[in-house]
Amino acid sequence: MPCSPQVQVSRLIEDRLLWILAMDEKMTPLDCLLPSGKQRICLIILNQPLDKDHLHILWSKALLRACADGAANHLHNITAGDRDSFLPDYISGDFDSITAEVKAFYADKGCKLIETADQDLTDYTKCLAIMVEEIQKRQLQGSHRLEVNTGLEGDWCSLIPVGGPCQTLTTGLKWNLNNDVLQFGKLVSTSNTYEPTDPGKPRKAVTVTTDQPLLWSMGIGKNGE
Amino acid sequence: MPCSPQVQVSRLIEDRLLWILAMDEKMTPLDCLLPSGKQRICLIILNQPLDKDHLHILWSKALLRACADGAANHLHNITAGDRDSFLPDYISGDFDSITAEVKAFYADKGCKLIETADQDLTDYTKCLAIMVEEIQKRQLQVDTIVTLGGLAGRFDQAMASVETLYHALSMTQLPLLIIQGKSLAYLLRPPQTGGEYRSGGGLVQPDSSRWTLPDTHHWAQMEPE
Repeated sequence: MPCSPQVQVSRLIEDRLLWILAMDEKMTPLDCLLPSGKQRICLIILNQPLDKDHLHILWSKALLRACADGAANHLHNITAGDRDSFLPDYISGDFDSITAEVKAFYADKGCKLIETADQDLTDYTKCLAIMVEEIQKRQLQGSHRLEVNTGLEGDWCSLIPVGGPCQTLTTGLKWNLNNDVLQFGKLVSTSNTYEPTDPGKPRKAVTVTTDQPLLWSMGIGKNGE
Repeated sequence: MPCSPQVQVSRLIEDRLLWILAMDEKMTPLDCLLPSGKQRICLIILNQPLDKDHLHILWSKALLRACADGAANHLHNITAGDRDSFLPDYISGDFDSITAEVKAFYADKGCKLIETADQDLTDYTKCLAIMVEEIQKRQLQVDTIVTLGGLAGRFDQAMASVETLYHALSMTQLPLLIIQGKSLAYLLRPPQTGGEYRSGGGLVQPDSSRWTLPDTHHWAQMEPE
């Protein structure tokens, strides 16, 4: 059925408007630097002198943290005295900037080193591609994010592999699992609790990445308990 | 129009990031007990002594409420003096636990009684199946199905409750929680496989044939030296 030009134009506008609304990107750019900010972030550090305040707040919030090549030198330098609290999930790049000493340090600590030799793309682009892949991988592995900040939470929690072995990765627990296999007779996480937070700070969410169904249970405390 | 490699990577990343946001499984287990909690719930009550506070807050929020067999006895008991405000939408089970008096009381009040004779499945599982069907039939927007009771009392019955959590994985996409006393149990779902579109659900995988990550597959993870 032929449409009058106006109807056609209207539909066109509708489609575009619908597209724009679907595309609507509400964004608070500086939320990530706000201690009270709610955005969930991942962090990539580039090869530049680092701002310590920015580093600390972004690091504390980030679900994943990575260095692009020589960024690891800056990180190593600026975190002297507390380096174990600032271990990146991975360092990627062509490794022409990172020093041998820094590279060995983070390798010993278990940080992934991913060499990306492609010369058409910058270290940053390649680092970002890996970051996206890692986020996606964790999502595909069934990543759960449990908010435990209602105020009703008790003081215990557990992960019990009732159905069978589960390879499990967690954050936000006092005793996290680092791709360990939970299995009766081998390792079961009971009497766990939440990662301690500074007084007045909200509790971080517990994230659980699992390849099999995994039973989460938690205590319920009453007000005042 | 040919794009520079960096622009291609950016577009790729955008698509993936949007997809990742759609995949995220965020859950606040104790939201249902918070007066200010936003989750829309349905309530199943099992055959256990009931916690009055939990009952009241869950009942007030629930879009549908059901009792599994003898749960109706406990409900009848604990709501003495105000029973008309606590009439379940249905009571299901093999009716070997509910007393004749309680059964007659709720029948007279117009509550549906649904006999479920299957001996391979527990009253809980059967009650859940009816709940899922009813939610679909009524086209209800529900975030979580909450179960009151099921974790205490006989050990084998507590294990049977966990078994129902496993059955639930194939019965519904909705999270199923069990709350009793000071404990909550929630089975974390394993990763979804395949790219299904679920209406109202949010699991949409991108058409991955359009995109390939540039050169990531030859990026080798370095072994620690």
